[in-house]
Amino acid sequence: MISLDSVTVAFGRTIALDDVTLDVHEGITGLFGQNGSGKSTLLRVLCGLLRPTNGSVEILGRRASARDEDLKRHIGYVGHDSGLYPMLSVEENLALFARLYGAPEKRCREVLDALGIGGWARTPSRELSAGIRRRAAVARALVHDPAVLLLDEPYANLDDDAAALLSAAIVSWRRSDRVCIVATHGAKKVKAYADAGIILQRGRVQSAGIYRRAENVPAP
Amino acid sequence: MTAAASDAGFVAKTLALGRKDLQIEARARDTLPPMLAFAFSVTLLLAFTLPDAEPQPPNVLAGFFWITVLFAGLIGFARTFEVERQDGALDALLLTPIDRSAIFLAKAAANLLYIALVQVLLLPAFTILFSLRIGPGLAALLLVITLVDVGFVAVGTLFASLAAETRSRELMLPILAFPALVPPFIAGVELMSNLITGASFGELTNAGWFVILVVYDIVFVVVGALAFEFAVE
Repeated sequence: MISLDSVTVAFGRTIALDDVTLDVHEGITGLFGQNGSGKSTLLRVLCGLLRPTNGSVEILGRRASARDEDLKRHIGYVGHDSGLYPMLSVEENLALFARLYGAPEKRCREVLDALGIGGWARTPSRELSAGIRRRAAVARALVHDPAVLLLDEPYANLDDDAAALLSAAIVSWRRSDRVCIVATHGAKKVKAYADAGIILQRGRVQSAGIYRRAENVPAP
Repeated sequence: MTAAASDAGFVAKTLALGRKDLQIEARARDTLPPMLAFAFSVTLLLAFTLPDAEPQPPNVLAGFFWITVLFAGLIGFARTFEVERQDGALDALLLTPIDRSAIFLAKAAANLLYIALVQVLLLPAFTILFSLRIGPGLAALLLVITLVDVGFVAVGTLFASLAAETRSRELMLPILAFPALVPPFIAGVELMSNLITGASFGELTNAGWFVILVVYDIVFVVVGALAFEFAVE
């Protein structure tokens, strides 16, 4: 569902991704590596926020492009920041993004409840704790029910209960026509439910493998 | 999807973005109040620089008005993308399936509203402090103000998007925008000065500066909407 062919990303003299070639199949893939290994850069390339210096990316059988509005409808991304407007409430943020993606507004309540933050719907984003804001950011990425979900350190600032809720939301989102990449430097939580894993080291793929067969993933 | 449905989606999304900007400003109040505070402080200072003689020189009054608007506008425009920078909202916005010109148009519309509100309050202040008399030329003056404002916000919003990516963005915006803003502001001063001296609507629309203003607006609204995509990248 996602293919990278000789992707290199350079920031001046710094090579963030070095000739990365890999295929990511349906299901949930953990993206592991230490700080500076290139996880965030890889996700930013996949979602279209960063153009690779060299190489090409294919997502859902189409060459990735920042201008492909139709492809953008199928991608949900959470970066290090929440991507929420601090002065708007959680539900106002979600309603705005639902409208921009052309998703039904009832999806807002569904994803808020799935992530256990329905009680914070009317709270301005700036007043949320870091953990709740993190979950609200994931809700924003899920509001349009994307086929490709890219999560960069989604467990940052989450306590064990919140992390369990987030894991449950990701697992219940999984279907055989969907792909999710979860980047994290702490592999334990993601390995518990991931179908495959990729380890990056200094911008290169150190290893990639399948933990369980994707056929076990529920059909759409 | 049909072209009509696509256009309707574009308009609806642009309106949603514009409404979001106004909603945030209504709560944060960090753009309009500094613009108003600057405009009235400068107007008050300028009121003490002119002799008490009446009538005041029209070109001086027009110059005072547009210089005040220019700087008040730039103060506000510099904050245009501040709301998008907080907590990575611009990245989230750029990932949505919307034409980037919708983001530009929504930002420009919000800026147009802010600068219009400043002017709505500034004109009466000029009438009181400088004995500004427009009389029957008020409708023509409002047309001139609208035309200058459209070009001003198109250029201001575009350069604000460029300046937003720099460290000293408050400093960069005037440096980038001033040279491009010279034509509409000279036109504004000339046309407003003519109206103060009693020029008719017909004389106004036949003036060379009026034509320049109309052409400037068309060019920079189109250029702004098209170039914005590259500016945010």
